[in-house]
Amino acid sequence: MSSMNNIINEIKAALAPLKMETPADKQIAAVVRPEAIHNSLSYLRQRGFTQLCIVTCIDWIKDSEFELVYILFSWTDGIHVQLRARVDRNNPVMVTATDIFPGARYYEREVTEFFGVEFTGNEDAGKPLFLEIWDDLPPLRKDFDPQAYSDSKFPMRERGNEFVSEIGGTEK
Amino acid sequence: MNEVKLFLGPQHPGMHGNYSVHMYVDGDIIEKARPTPGFLHRGFEKLMERRHWMGNLALIPRICVPEPDINEFVYAQGIEMLANIEVPDKAHWIRMLVLEMARVMVHLMSLGFIGGPTGMYTATYWAIAQRDLILDLFEELCGARIYHMYIVPGGVRKDLPEGFTDRVLAMMDELEVKIPEYEELILKHPIIHARAKDNIMLPAEVVWELGVTGIGMRSATGEENDLRKVKPYAHYDKVEFEVPTATYSDALTRLNLKVREMYQSMRIIRQVIDKMPAEGPVNVPVSPGNALRWTVPEGMVYSAVESSRGEYGYFIVSDGSEMPYRIAVRGASFPQGLLGIEKYLKGHRIDDASIWMDTMGVCSPEIDR
Repeated sequence: MSSMNNIINEIKAALAPLKMETPADKQIAAVVRPEAIHNSLSYLRQRGFTQLCIVTCIDWIKDSEFELVYILFSWTDGIHVQLRARVDRNNPVMVTATDIFPGARYYEREVTEFFGVEFTGNEDAGKPLFLEIWDDLPPLRKDFDPQAYSDSKFPMRERGNEFVSEIGGTEK
Repeated sequence: MNEVKLFLGPQHPGMHGNYSVHMYVDGDIIEKARPTPGFLHRGFEKLMERRHWMGNLALIPRICVPEPDINEFVYAQGIEMLANIEVPDKAHWIRMLVLEMARVMVHLMSLGFIGGPTGMYTATYWAIAQRDLILDLFEELCGARIYHMYIVPGGVRKDLPEGFTDRVLAMMDELEVKIPEYEELILKHPIIHARAKDNIMLPAEVVWELGVTGIGMRSATGEENDLRKVKPYAHYDKVEFEVPTATYSDALTRLNLKVREMYQSMRIIRQVIDKMPAEGPVNVPVSPGNALRWTVPEGMVYSAVESSRGEYGYFIVSDGSEMPYRIAVRGASFPQGLLGIEKYLKGHRIDDASIWMDTMGVCSPEIDR
């Protein structure tokens, strides 16, 4: 078991991240350039972070960027690492991590479905997963309005004159 | 050769929740399997962005139906990490008590539900009846049987009722007698042996490939990979317990580990009640003012807990406002429930598919969210 500081220094030296922080006890966050994600993931994997916990995305609509988040865990050190990178919101493309972590396949497919980020090399690219016959913006983007979507898909029905209330009498 | 397409689910007695698998079969051997999730997709991650930090508490237990308390705990723990809050000592012990009671409850349920796919419903009836008695304790604790909303950011909602710990201890004594009966009924039964022994293997390479955690990982690798040991939260570093492991993972071994984990949970519960202080505060406010107007400092944090099926986590992003900016949920059975089914269900018989789903711990509400 190596200490937190040793691991932080090792990661700093190997990845040369843009930013590095410790958001909580036994948790490290490293922000890298999007081109560096693939190499960083393979470095971290051989460093002992063998468990891929989740691949997810954040929509920073004000900066017009998507932030991809890879969370890894090392069972020997008991430390979580967040590896993050920002990609352009208008052309969101990222290289797949499935050759390093085969388990990333369905996480990436989910991010594609809910955010519209394309993962080049993922064999499931473009296939739907949870949503059936979806014809709107990817729903976890911040500019998708669920209220407007449900109003347009399921319009309010007008109540007719033939409605008889339980109390009795015909209502207008 | 004639390949036939069959549907398993979305309604099936051997499965928990609505989940469908499209199977292409030749004879009764599955040649190809395709998971079809989404029947329980309710858009939790989007809903959470549109509710206050405290209001979300009514929503999140519903993400995992059989074991709701882990949701409350990871959510509360994540907010405490962001806001840098020190939870009172007594609240930590109460949280452990709740989490371990929930673990016993959900292991009983999943142990009993092996009766669904094997056709031995006696197991289901016995185990569910016992689980209901634990739910009675939860009802006394917080007024609700399934969705407790008891663990809140900053601690727990209220102190334990008068005499509650005595009734929990009485329940532990009862379980000590009852669980051997369930072992006798389930783990030594010839039907279960015929169906589960040396069947539905999970080799260690597959564990590392898919990223399976929890009982699946521990039963195959023989390593004590339990978050309660590796990265202790609450006061798990202050109690003694063992992590049951095995190096040969067939369906029967995984059922066996569930029983052995129940004994360890009971051991933890006894120590918790012994070490819990009698007096003291049980919660602190996360930020000043009305609970619905709480704000959480800006930041991104990943909070994880060892659930009955493996590592369960929330990735929480706050922009400093009254509502979360983004919350991503890591369902513990996501790896085996999607990629696992696609790659490793083939080669099994049709009637073993639901045992596969059951003993791998596939839980559809947490996959779909």
